[in-house]
Amino acid sequence: MKKNAAGRKVVLKAGGRARRFSVPTAADWPSVSSEMIHLIRPGTILAVQGDLGAGKTTFIQSLAAALGIKRFVPSPTFALMRAYKLPKAVNGIRRLVHVDAYRLKDESELQVLDLDEELVDGQTLLVLEWPERIAGWLGSRLKNVIHLNIN
Amino acid sequence: MVSPVKIFDFRPPTTKIRILGIETSCDETSVAILESVRAHGHAPLCESKIRLVHHETATQIPIHARFGGVVPEVAARTHVAELVSLLERAGIFGKGKRKFDVIAVTKGPGLATALRVGVEAARTLAWSSGAPIVGVNHLEGHMASAWLMPQNRRRWEFPILFLLVSGGHTELVLMRDYCSYKILGRTRDDAAGEAFDKTAKLLGLGYPGGPALSKTAEKGRPDAFKLPRPMLHDKSFDFSFSGLKTAVRVLVANLVRGTKNEVTILPDLCASIQAAIVDVLVAKTVAAAIESKPKAVAIVGGVSANRVLQAVLTKAVKTELPGVTLFAPPSGFYTDNAAMIAAAGLWRISQNRLDSWQKLDAEPELDI
Repeated sequence: MKKNAAGRKVVLKAGGRARRFSVPTAADWPSVSSEMIHLIRPGTILAVQGDLGAGKTTFIQSLAAALGIKRFVPSPTFALMRAYKLPKAVNGIRRLVHVDAYRLKDESELQVLDLDEELVDGQTLLVLEWPERIAGWLGSRLKNVIHLNIN
Repeated sequence: MVSPVKIFDFRPPTTKIRILGIETSCDETSVAILESVRAHGHAPLCESKIRLVHHETATQIPIHARFGGVVPEVAARTHVAELVSLLERAGIFGKGKRKFDVIAVTKGPGLATALRVGVEAARTLAWSSGAPIVGVNHLEGHMASAWLMPQNRRRWEFPILFLLVSGGHTELVLMRDYCSYKILGRTRDDAAGEAFDKTAKLLGLGYPGGPALSKTAEKGRPDAFKLPRPMLHDKSFDFSFSGLKTAVRVLVANLVRGTKNEVTILPDLCASIQAAIVDVLVAKTVAAAIESKPKAVAIVGGVSANRVLQAVLTKAVKTELPGVTLFAPPSGFYTDNAAMIAAAGLWRISQNRLDSWQKLDAEPELDI
């Protein structure tokens, strides 16, 4: 079934530059993750966009593994948010917060997530699925945002 | 004020005990008062007579009744307004108020801001009423939902293997005693309920469309389309459902390209998706039961309301696990509710596992 998703195109946009990757199978995500590691810092908001079944969670699982996280990284759709401690700091990052805006009906519901509070510790990387649902919040923090689009 | 020492020495004043349960871990706000009567102090817990004195979940009450016509924008998810209104409706304030002996509250896992509303309310009530407090794991609460059923309690013998399936959870947990658990397997990505809801969305059934998918599946053939059974032959008891979304996406795209009429094949698609999810859940549960040799298997959580899952599991337990009983919660107690939290609180009290209101805190990443 993984090969059915062949031809997946990934665009990574950071600091006004765009890079393109081809990710034919789920086993090819680690190459994107290892590239990503160099771009992320504490306070980075990694906005991962793509349709249902595009592979967003699978990519984030590969990124979490690259950051040394051993635990399962299940979908946060229902929980809205899950947090993970890194066993050892990577580029100063000690914590990964995985957020899913899929179930948010309205941007005002962001209050329950209190994302700004999650970022104040100066050691957190925020990975966000369905960023288009909270475009307003994201728009005011663009200088910290890295976009990853999966098609 | 109640000191930690006094809490440690706590014994119910009689063999009758009333527990105020509070649940706010994710979407639902719920309050319950559960009464347990034991024949004597040393009678087995499963022989308790249980009565729900009061039970209400916010989503089941019309909005105007909750807020008198004004609907606060964010309140539905922040729980504050709903919880205050539910506690008032439970009759625990004012003249002729209902009394309770212990407060049980969900402390995790869940959303930090949501959990904190329940925990802070419980701590305040504990401080003002002097009642002891007990923090409950939400997963343990779901397990206790099966215990709410009198005929299950009569046959309650350890170990019990739980399949906990909901929108946010898919876990196989072995319960060795009250408050003693072991996770045997869990989902590595999507929860079973999420797999239903998201494949339903891919089929244009809206979100969350799990129940609509099951309804449509009634008229379809479960073997009409070949869909993957992820991890079915993996030796672990873990699950993976995210690949099913991709498979359904590709299948739907090919069907549209092949100009097949999507409306007429929709029931077949739904039935095939449901079969793929149910097959994996049942096969893993049976495999875990063969290894862990439980006296009973219990299915709990929102997805346990699925009739096909109930039917296939019932048949599998009967044929493949002779002598093993199957438990399910009473209808209406599948999804998040405070009655199950109060019941799990009772389990913790019986093991003398009380908390102090000074120390109890929300634990969003709590495991079992």
